[in-house]
Amino acid sequence: MSRRPDPRLGRPTWACASSGVSVCRRVRALLLANVAATAWYFGWLLDPVRIGEPVLYALLLAAELFNLVQAIGFWWTCSRAHSRPQPPALPEPPEVDVLIPVYDEPVEVVEATVRAAARLRGARVLVWLLDDGDSPAMEDLASRAGAGYIAREQHEGAKAGNINNALAQTNAPYVAVFDCDHVADPVFLEQTLGHAADPGVAFVQTPQYYANHGRGGIAAAAWAQQALFFGPIARGKDALGAMFCCGTNVLFRREALLSVGGFPTGSLTEDFELSVRLHERGWRSVYVDRVLARGLGPEDMAAYVSQQLRWARGCLSAIGPVVRAGLPLRIRVQYLLSTMYFLSGWTLAVYMLLPVVRIVAGAQPLAVSSASQFLVHFAPYYALALGTVALAGAGSYTFAAFSLGCACFWVHVVAGTRALLRRPDRFVVTAKEGVESWQPRAVWPALAVVAVLGAASAYGLASRPGPGTLNSIAFAALHASVLATGAAGALRLRRRATAEPRTELLPATDVSRR
Amino acid sequence: MTTGVTETVARARALPGAAADRRLLAVEQLGVLGGQIGAGVGNLAFSLAMARLLDPSGFAALASFGALYLLLTMPVTSLTAGSALDPALELRLLRRTVRAGIGVAVVAGALALPLGELLHLSPVLVVLLGLAAPGAGPLALVRGRLYAARRHRGLGASLLAEPLGRLLLGGALAPAIGATGAALAIVVSGYASLVVARRAVPALRPLAPPDRRRASSVVAVFVLLAVLQNQDVVLGNAVLGGGAAGLFAVVSTLGGIAAFATVTVPMVLLARLREGRREPLGVAVAFAAGIGGLAVAAFAVAPAALAGSLFGARYADAGGIAIPYLLAMALLGVARVLAAQLSGRSRRLPIWLLAGPALLQLGLVAVIARSAEGVAEVTLGTTALAAAATGAAVALDHPAVRRAPAHALSALRSPAALRVAGVATVALVVRLLITRGLWVDEASSVAQAEMGFHAMLHNLRTTDVHPPLYFSLLWLDIRLFGSGELAVRLPSIAAGVALVPALYAAGRDLYDRRAGIVAAGLAAFAPQPVWYSQEARMYALFMLFAVIAVWGQVRVLRRGRPRDWVLYTAAATALAWTQYFGLLLVALQQAVFALAAWRRPATRGPLLRSWAVAGAVAFVLVAPLVPFAYHQFAANQASGRGFGSTPSQAGVITGETHPGLYAFLANGVWAVWGYHADATMVDLVALWPLGMLLALFLLGRGWSRTSSLLTASAIVPALCLFAVGQSKSNLFDLRYFIGAVPLLILLAARGLTSWTPRVGARAALAVVFGASLLAGLVDQQVNNDNPRRYDFRSAVHAIAARAHPGDVVLYNPIYLAQIVHYYGPGLDLRSVRRGVPPRTGARRVFLIASFFDHPGIAAATRRTLHALERRRHLVVRLRGSNVRVWEFR
Repeated sequence: MSRRPDPRLGRPTWACASSGVSVCRRVRALLLANVAATAWYFGWLLDPVRIGEPVLYALLLAAELFNLVQAIGFWWTCSRAHSRPQPPALPEPPEVDVLIPVYDEPVEVVEATVRAAARLRGARVLVWLLDDGDSPAMEDLASRAGAGYIAREQHEGAKAGNINNALAQTNAPYVAVFDCDHVADPVFLEQTLGHAADPGVAFVQTPQYYANHGRGGIAAAAWAQQALFFGPIARGKDALGAMFCCGTNVLFRREALLSVGGFPTGSLTEDFELSVRLHERGWRSVYVDRVLARGLGPEDMAAYVSQQLRWARGCLSAIGPVVRAGLPLRIRVQYLLSTMYFLSGWTLAVYMLLPVVRIVAGAQPLAVSSASQFLVHFAPYYALALGTVALAGAGSYTFAAFSLGCACFWVHVVAGTRALLRRPDRFVVTAKEGVESWQPRAVWPALAVVAVLGAASAYGLASRPGPGTLNSIAFAALHASVLATGAAGALRLRRRATAEPRTELLPATDVSRR
Repeated sequence: MTTGVTETVARARALPGAAADRRLLAVEQLGVLGGQIGAGVGNLAFSLAMARLLDPSGFAALASFGALYLLLTMPVTSLTAGSALDPALELRLLRRTVRAGIGVAVVAGALALPLGELLHLSPVLVVLLGLAAPGAGPLALVRGRLYAARRHRGLGASLLAEPLGRLLLGGALAPAIGATGAALAIVVSGYASLVVARRAVPALRPLAPPDRRRASSVVAVFVLLAVLQNQDVVLGNAVLGGGAAGLFAVVSTLGGIAAFATVTVPMVLLARLREGRREPLGVAVAFAAGIGGLAVAAFAVAPAALAGSLFGARYADAGGIAIPYLLAMALLGVARVLAAQLSGRSRRLPIWLLAGPALLQLGLVAVIARSAEGVAEVTLGTTALAAAATGAAVALDHPAVRRAPAHALSALRSPAALRVAGVATVALVVRLLITRGLWVDEASSVAQAEMGFHAMLHNLRTTDVHPPLYFSLLWLDIRLFGSGELAVRLPSIAAGVALVPALYAAGRDLYDRRAGIVAAGLAAFAPQPVWYSQEARMYALFMLFAVIAVWGQVRVLRRGRPRDWVLYTAAATALAWTQYFGLLLVALQQAVFALAAWRRPATRGPLLRSWAVAGAVAFVLVAPLVPFAYHQFAANQASGRGFGSTPSQAGVITGETHPGLYAFLANGVWAVWGYHADATMVDLVALWPLGMLLALFLLGRGWSRTSSLLTASAIVPALCLFAVGQSKSNLFDLRYFIGAVPLLILLAARGLTSWTPRVGARAALAVVFGASLLAGLVDQQVNNDNPRRYDFRSAVHAIAARAHPGDVVLYNPIYLAQIVHYYGPGLDLRSVRRGVPPRTGARRVFLIASFFDHPGIAAATRRTLHALERRRHLVVRLRGSNVRVWEFR
């Protein structure tokens, strides 16, 4: 790492705010067509005469309805997306505690974060390095960078506990939190404090930008997923007052944090549950759609899977609290949409199961007489839904991002099962740098499904070739291609020399003018 | 004569400057030409005499012998070319040629029986052929020396000695011993000519050091030219039946006039090559083209009458075929001159440029030509290719071209241009590999284009539904090349080949050079462009103009220069004159212009002004079409047919009354992968989930305005016709939005070349996609279950082979009349609407029917069959692709 340029010091290549308004208008324009196509498809699908094999039909219907709910949520959210104007600067620069929790990350990674935090403008900044790893090197780093150093004897509550411990030892009215790999722009506070001047605002969230998205396929795909979220979705959630905290690149009002007892420590997604509690208490959230900090995303499949597993487990565990929380309906639905997204892997499992059953057993969810009509009704719905995603993402959401998510469908299944069984999970820090070896273990479920789909297709071709079988084989090929593309990153030896992105060093003076 | 020439030369030498040079050169050419024409007339007289003295099979055998003799002597005659360039060649090669000739004679004598079997010749003729060999080389070499020394008098004497000997000796021997006597006369006359030439040749003087390799190269070039001129005769004799072979023998004899007359022109040029001037080339080309053109024009006045009077009434049919063949030989004469000129510049280039056409001719005659007409058309195509290739090479070498702007020259000579030329050649070869006969629409077009021009326009106005541009081209084409299968498809083939460079230019301009070359490569063998390039209808032109119109529009929107507007306006206008449905694309383009003007306030004024001017020009150009179209519409409405009188093949699923999504998908599959059997289409359409995958692949891909415009231009006309098809199902047919196909090719090329930065992955994608197109093409072209394949040719030929005078051929539906007449012009044709003839009215009755998937037509066929079965008994039932034939007695 130390021999490579640090991508976090380069300019961001993603401009979230620039494509906002016209895209939003187009999404709204597509809404009507989406509604019509949805009615056309589901009106046809829900007709009882379509029922083929009842169990398969029920599975298909459940999957389709789940995805319909997600799709409607997406259309609703994106259609409301807005971009906040820059508020006026505060008359007096307030005090801000900048908290940087660390566990066992490399010093090189943390050093850039601490030094960038020390250069923040627009406030009287006090940087705190919250070391849960009891590392003398970190203490030395804090000392060298002029930052405060806070360690604790008992490491309870993981990151949340670490921050809560720091909150108890600091007292500035505003608290900024950065993960140890997120390098803040000097203008971070200038761009966020104005929003926090509103006394009802609990926190101001900014995008979690992966500056290393040029380092290989997984980093790029993971960032593409983030770009969709921190683009139209986050802007829409902000417009609906339902933006949640993402745990880093965020400015809190200390009063708000203290009003809910700090970060909840019993969750894997402490930031998400904190947001629920804050909104429940009537606090409001703000999302600023400008990249104001540059961090590192997962670079290899193991790190990505680990991250997804933690998010899925945490969010699925939060379904209950969200349902029980006294939230306004609009915000509650938004939270539920976000948490339930991590059930979508189950629907993928259903979709992948159907062609296999059709080929092997000849059973299909829809009545045979309906098969020829399926495409007529499904195609407009599918095309418009996909078109809306493409449009809303303004080209940022890629096939690689989609396939990476699909290849980790099993993560959702595992997380859902563990959540259902109430199995405990521990907080795992996402690796900050990818390994250079194959990681087939991280994608073996996807590879197994590819093998099953391939075997079923071969069996179908050998046993009963015909249009029906070919149709199922085409579906199997569709799923296998998506899974294989998603899993390919784990099977490819990473070559740093070629994967290295072009990094342009960003002088601090340029940042302020940007 | 030669004295006169000498005087003229002396006068010409007195003239000043370049004019004098040209005059001198012309006189020189004319002098030699006089001898050659004299020899030609003598040879023709010999052929005419033999045609009357010998029976058809004997004459065919003599023609075949003559062709083989030419094939034997022409390569050796190519030594004349080498010797004209390097007189010392005689010293080096004389003994070797004699030895080789003796070797040939020995081999021919030893293998006379099997060779005779192989060549369909009597063994005696094979032996005689061998005996001619030892003298051929020396004669050629010595004539070359005569050219080099400008001993035109001796040359003329040698040239005239040969036909004179043939006439005298042949006239005496042929009545007695038939073809053998005539052949013997040919052989002996060759030796007589050698003696005459030898007497005139001067002593060899030392010249500048000879370029031996260049002389060898010239020999090779003239060998190839000889092959190109003669192999069709030998192959034709082998692959055609007796009657057709005899017919082609006559045609080749007539064509030989043009070829023979221009033989000396390049020789005189070669003797002048050492001078390094260009005037001799211009004079030589003018002579070759002029003589060839005169031959064509002279014969075109009354082809049947001339052929009949020269070769007897039984060969009157050869007249029509002889015109394209004479044209082919005229082109060969020009190619000879150009190749000779190139030989002075490059050793290998002319060989490569001639080897391709020669191989193509060999393959096409051997594989697809099954009639005298077909062989003649193949020869025309390949000689045209040879003339074009050598002409282009000479043009590129011209000082004026060399002085052209550097970028233009480098573009022409660039590897990319050569690649495109190569791809276009491949496209031409693919399009010439036609695997099907004409179908009803083509026959209808041919019948209309065979009328007088005004009659054709009237017919179009009152009975057809298409604009007249294509028909006008076809009308001209038929006047030039006749009505043979290949001839009537030439405009489409030309448009289909032109599509390749057009796509390259558009792809390079709209995207980049890589996209252009891939688009051109895909177009070379994409199924639909190939299919409609082989159909005598307007759809290949539709594709070509659609691409140019879209390309022009993008250029207008990007740069808006006057030349861009001219390109766009011309293409859009041509599109309207080619196919009315092209107006859907033009209308969309006007909407795009309006949108561009609305969204670009900064350039709105100039854009609107240019648009108005271009619109006004286009309006003036299209205005004459409006009353024409209205008249067509009114006439069709009045007759109750409406637009689209023939059945559609829109892919409508049986039982559906209008095209649905599956029909749309089927048309989409056809557009990319071509026409296939219904069962294959069902399987292919079942793969629609792969379309979902493609849609997913497109997620996050950049979609430029150019690509958006191309996509809209491809899809919107199809969607419009799909909507219209809901009320008139026959209008939703790929043919009517065929302009989408090259646009899809362009988009595919863009996708293939920009999908991934990895070169290997891009290449793999291109190979996979190309392989799928190739598989589609092969299945489309050779699968007899292709629903668009109508084998009327075999069906009607089968009827013609079985029919006798007094037999009647019934056809159903009504619009089979022209296609049945095309393939069986002598048959007594009647529509089933006239009812079944009584037993006394006809000896035998044939019923030919098609379009069985149309209930009304199928019912009429069944009714006719029942009626025939009641009165007669069924003898034979024949079945071809979408065509059936029944024979009743």
